[in-house]
Amino acid sequence: MAPSAKKPSALTLHVFQAGFGDCLLLSFDYGESQRKRHVLIDCGTSKMPRSPRRTSLDVAKAVSELCGGKLDAIVVSHRHGDHISGFAGKAGTLLAQLKPDLVLQPWTEDPEVAPDATSPPSPAIGTKGRATVQAIARMPAITKNALTEAIRLGVSQTVREQLEFLGETGINNPAAVRNLLDLPCKHIYAYCGSTSGLQQVLPGVKVQVLGPPTLRQSEAIAEQRKEDPDEFWHLQHRAGVHAAAKKRLFPGAKTARRSALPFETRWFLPRLERVRGEQLLQIVRILDEKLNNTSLVLLFEVGKAKLLFPGDAQIENWQYALSKAHPGSSLHSLLADVSVYKVGHHGSLNATPKTLWNMFKRKAPTPPPDRLKTVLSTLAGKHGRAQRGTEVPREKLVAALKAESDFFTTQSLAKAPYRSLCIPV
Amino acid sequence: MPTTESPSQPAVRSRTVEMTVVAQDPGVRDHRGKIVTSRVRIPAENLRPGPRGFRVHVIDYDTSGGTLYEPLTYSYNAIGEPVDRYQNATNDIILGDPGFHAQNVYALVMHTLARFEFALGRRIRWSFQGGGHQIYIAPHAFADANAFYSPDDQALVFGYFPSRKRGTVFTCLSHDVVAHETTHALVDGLRDRFTDPSSPDQAAFHEGYSDVVALLSVFAMCEVVKTVLSNRRAANQDEESQTTLDHLIDERRLTTKALRRSLLLGLAEEMGTELASMRGDALRRSAELEPSDRYLDQDEFQEPHRRGEILVAAIMNAFLGVFTNRLKSLGRIKGRYLDRDRVAEEAAEVAGYLLTMSIRALDYTPPVHLEFGHFLSALLTADHEIRPDDSKFNFRETLRSSFLSYGIKPNSVSPDGLWSNPQVELVYERSHFEPMRYSPEEVFHFVHENREALKLDADAYTRVLSVQPCIRIAPEDGFPLRETVAQCIQQLTVRASELKLFGIGKPEGMPADLQLEIQGGLTLIFDEYGRLKFAISNHLQGSDELAARQTRRLRHLWEAGRYERGYSLGQRLSQLHRLRATGGRQFHNERW
Repeated sequence: MAPSAKKPSALTLHVFQAGFGDCLLLSFDYGESQRKRHVLIDCGTSKMPRSPRRTSLDVAKAVSELCGGKLDAIVVSHRHGDHISGFAGKAGTLLAQLKPDLVLQPWTEDPEVAPDATSPPSPAIGTKGRATVQAIARMPAITKNALTEAIRLGVSQTVREQLEFLGETGINNPAAVRNLLDLPCKHIYAYCGSTSGLQQVLPGVKVQVLGPPTLRQSEAIAEQRKEDPDEFWHLQHRAGVHAAAKKRLFPGAKTARRSALPFETRWFLPRLERVRGEQLLQIVRILDEKLNNTSLVLLFEVGKAKLLFPGDAQIENWQYALSKAHPGSSLHSLLADVSVYKVGHHGSLNATPKTLWNMFKRKAPTPPPDRLKTVLSTLAGKHGRAQRGTEVPREKLVAALKAESDFFTTQSLAKAPYRSLCIPV
Repeated sequence: MPTTESPSQPAVRSRTVEMTVVAQDPGVRDHRGKIVTSRVRIPAENLRPGPRGFRVHVIDYDTSGGTLYEPLTYSYNAIGEPVDRYQNATNDIILGDPGFHAQNVYALVMHTLARFEFALGRRIRWSFQGGGHQIYIAPHAFADANAFYSPDDQALVFGYFPSRKRGTVFTCLSHDVVAHETTHALVDGLRDRFTDPSSPDQAAFHEGYSDVVALLSVFAMCEVVKTVLSNRRAANQDEESQTTLDHLIDERRLTTKALRRSLLLGLAEEMGTELASMRGDALRRSAELEPSDRYLDQDEFQEPHRRGEILVAAIMNAFLGVFTNRLKSLGRIKGRYLDRDRVAEEAAEVAGYLLTMSIRALDYTPPVHLEFGHFLSALLTADHEIRPDDSKFNFRETLRSSFLSYGIKPNSVSPDGLWSNPQVELVYERSHFEPMRYSPEEVFHFVHENREALKLDADAYTRVLSVQPCIRIAPEDGFPLRETVAQCIQQLTVRASELKLFGIGKPEGMPADLQLEIQGGLTLIFDEYGRLKFAISNHLQGSDELAARQTRRLRHLWEAGRYERGYSLGQRLSQLHRLRATGGRQFHNERW
């Protein structure tokens, strides 16, 4: 492929109803003499709205129609189910038939960094990076074991629902991961500052990778840090395997029967079980955040438009890029000039860093022509709790988005399967 | 000696008993590979199965395995002591017998409690609502790399996890983990407002202080120091030297710098990496955190678990400073060698004394909004009161300079860093000596009568939280030092828009109609004649400096999400440990 058009003349962002999930399609118009180029950013859901009932296959069909049977690139922000489940099953088969030229994923998905890889990882990633990938590979098992244990313990309905929801998102999606890996095209695994490869399929478009940082990059901004967090997850994995198997710790020791518990233990035992339930939820939440922080953060420059897609990146991911975006820097100028912002992590409380939000200079209370556009793909009532200030989407954030930007949320899609937003370039 | 299932009527009852515990953790072994154990002396009591004593109740329930293990039952000897069946326990028994684990946690919690009660000269209560006397301990609560204090459940819970090498890592067998969690519970009983969200220092104090108590408790055990020094020697010396100088140690290896490597890092290495991965590595950090006055202002050290490391480093470096100083007076053998056992004894004595000092200091801290500088002044003053002559250890000067090297200055205004005596006229005639020693109502009467002299806010809600009489033995003359320690707090409910009335700045972004509480407090130390010796205050208002502090504190709390609804204290402590393990930060000011 050798595109001859110099730059896009129009740009459309299609935002699909994926419930609690992300599916976005960027369509670049190069004029009548050239075919359009299409980049799919994520395709997944962990919960679709009840009505009208739709499936991932419906979403994939809509993508296929909009791109005319050909995708130029697929961007997979990270491996959570609500971002990749659409690449499995019939929807996955259909998306594979769209023959993308490029699949772009974060460095943590690079098979050369995987624990079973035979070649050494690149110098930018290093052996510590491999340990991280190994830890990530264990996370689905940790989550699954936590769920098994929680069900056996009979944790409260609230804890169980939260665990199940996080579990649905976080448990491995091996079919989707495999399908993406098997796509017969170029695969690029990116990190902050690396090349995305998207320029080759999108003439006249500049794409900067702002995240995720490599471990070396993260360590460079935390001088005193000495912990080895990956080692902690290895421990947690081993503990989870033990717990799920319900092994007796001391097989030869005498035990009391559950049906005849001594009186002096009856107040404490249920409380200890509740404490355990909370611990399991805490572990799964931390895992969920760790995976979110492997998200690709991409900034597209298309003419005068600047579009920011951070996946589910939270502040820990953003931290490195933001440390480089000091006032006067080119990165600061770029971020300040963002015209379209895909709201991070479905609008959770810690995925739109206030430092970043405060940088956006196109925010405005009244709608001037070049006012910031914000796009939120979410489903309220599925994640977090308002009484703890953890609801997703976070009310305070949504209020700010509504007040200072042209705000679109997939929750406003009544029956339509998607909304197409024209982005002035 | 004959034994019985329950204590009969012995002619003489012992008051204390020794019990076998793991000296540090099962990773610390002697040259034959035997796990180093120690015998700790704790109050003797008539134990119910568990053990279940007057302060501690061990219930060995494993939620992950769904198993309730049978409680440990003791037999008793002729003088009513529970018989320690684990005195000569093998490694297999130490690791594989849940009864030993029950004894280990019971004895270490009681030992830590006894250290606090010895230092403070009085009984200490747990902080549970409803005032429960016995804390539950679950030595194998779950398969998880965590251990924590859960006040809502009146419990200390310890996890376990399969080891990378072989077998299982039991957090209940780690002396410093057990002492650390027990200290959380004890500090909560002594100063329950220290778990309230406040300044970055207060948030860091619980964790850092618990590390300090845990590490000094370990170094106060001769067996641990001897083992670490001899193991390090074996690694560093040639065969001939090892044989001929087996019980000696070269003075060149006893400098502060060398001991930092051999003793602090040495023990950290012996303990292995698995527990360090679980909860951070306070010991290693304290050895590696080079003195600098920059840390306190650095963003990274605003996180409680990182900031606490500054406190640990300041105290552990003072420990090494005093220890090496004391070694100068020990006799040399063959010119430059010292007896290893004497060196270990000296380390244990210095650690033990510093531990006692650190515990006593708690009584001399303000009841709310603690900062590291308050703690330093408290350390210096509490020690000065009981031991005016510091020439034996030179502890106070060493501590002061070590804290200063990390940028921590005393909060007192006096040149020596000690709290000053109140220079005010007080009314004593309207309160009564005897109830002033135990009655919050009587102390409140005194406070109310003297509110102006004590610079209390007349409008604020005021409450005396506790009144504690205590007796400590002064080492210099052997006479008891009697004191009464009372905590008084004040709080005002204000709208954010009213903060300016107190000279306090409203944090940016805080809604004007947000209702919040500002707190102040006063610790009153009365002498044996009932006269006020010290009024250690963190007043609500009254000076530009206080207003500036309240402004900083409110800004920190606002940015830290204090005004969002949160989790229980137990979950917060558990979360804190997880953040240590995963190296996480919270970035509250970036959240919505």
